[in-house]
Amino acid sequence: MPDILVRYEAEIWQSIGETLTMVGISIIAAVLVGLPVGTLLFLCRRGNILENRLVFSTLNLLVNTIRSFPFLLLVVFLIPFTRLIIGTAIGTAAATVPLSIIAIAHYSRLVEQSLLDVPKGVMEAAISMGASIREVIFKFLYVEARSGLVLGLTTSIISFISYSTIMGVVGGGGIGDFAIRYGYQQFMTDLMIYMIIIMVILVQLIQFIGTTVSRIIDKR
Amino acid sequence: MIKLHQVSKSFSQFQAIKSVSLTINKGEIHGIIGASGAGKSTLLRLMNLLEIPDEGEVEVNGAKLTSLNSKSLRQARKSIGMIFQHFNLVANKTVYDNVLIALELASYPKAEQRDRVEECLQFVGLKQLKDKYPAQLSGGQKQRVAIARALANNPQVLLCDEPTSSLDPNTTAEILGVLENINKTLGVTIVIVSHEMEVIKSICNRVTVLADGEVYETVLIEPNGIKAVDNSPNYFVEQLKDGERDHA
Repeated sequence: MPDILVRYEAEIWQSIGETLTMVGISIIAAVLVGLPVGTLLFLCRRGNILENRLVFSTLNLLVNTIRSFPFLLLVVFLIPFTRLIIGTAIGTAAATVPLSIIAIAHYSRLVEQSLLDVPKGVMEAAISMGASIREVIFKFLYVEARSGLVLGLTTSIISFISYSTIMGVVGGGGIGDFAIRYGYQQFMTDLMIYMIIIMVILVQLIQFIGTTVSRIIDKR
Repeated sequence: MIKLHQVSKSFSQFQAIKSVSLTINKGEIHGIIGASGAGKSTLLRLMNLLEIPDEGEVEVNGAKLTSLNSKSLRQARKSIGMIFQHFNLVANKTVYDNVLIALELASYPKAEQRDRVEECLQFVGLKQLKDKYPAQLSGGQKQRVAIARALANNPQVLLCDEPTSSLDPNTTAEILGVLENINKTLGVTIVIVSHEMEVIKSICNRVTVLADGEVYETVLIEPNGIKAVDNSPNYFVEQLKDGERDHA
């Protein structure tokens, strides 16, 4: 292993841990909140089973607004909110707040898109068999859209990794922050390149897993 | 068995069904035919309230669907089977699981589900394909799965929305045979919407002709039986040469 990696080994492991924490919590937020929000966006659409203009436009506007913020500004803008929830606006835990919010907005849009790909007839068949809304969602929609939901989550996770590199501004740490502070600002270009390589490997790995899983579960 | 009383349905400006009253008797195979846009499918979809009528009453099997709350309506739908032109199977579930889902929705006793699924698949002649996915089946086989799914919960009524319109003549005959068998052996009342006169004439006892969203006439007919289809290459050649002679 190159000397420079050995010298900074502890810091590198720590920053990898910080990145994984930030991204991991974002994934949880995306699945626990983004999935339901995306499903609601889909169901409340015009002509769909829960058609509701108010809910749809509100969620739609909210998701669009969050997604239109340049991410750095969103982080700064959310500082008072983060302080309210976490008690501080600095550190890895604090960084997960803006990351989770963008994660929810990002994934909910992809969920909506995947659900739109489910043939309308499948939902009709479900309703004709007397399925309740909950059954339509869990026994038909998610089953039929599952490969799209996995691919969407894969795309989202990779975006979360990219977003997480900005979190240095609020002391969130992570690989990106380490690469900037040590590699760029302290003129250790080789260290910066090694960090980039680590991120490339991480992204490749996630994409590989996502693509493989989605292919295996797709029987269409 | 099914009673529609002055039922109307509009889609934005267009009035698809205009105050239609229609009675479908228990045990019959009732056809609905008409030009495209006449409102055939809409009329059928009103029978299980897949389309909610703007006016009028729908009664199936003694239950007035139009005055039920959503929970009772879902209950009522469990004894109204429906099949579609494009089959509408869940592509990510096996043949077995596609049929099973109808039983799960109907809270069919768990211990008897497996036997019931196999019985239904046996009935449509697909028992050996139970572990396949819909993408691995032909059109006719997919429609058989859809029929098995619709039959699983022992419905009183089977609604068929253009059931053979995306199938070739040979498969059409097969599917019509299955439907006729369901009517004869299980006593299920069947309503078939089709734009194909041959289909309607082959198995229906009574036929409603629909025009511009209104009942033009309801005719009592003697079904003339499902025609066996000649699939030999020689038959195709003969047909082609016949056509040539006609034009000469």
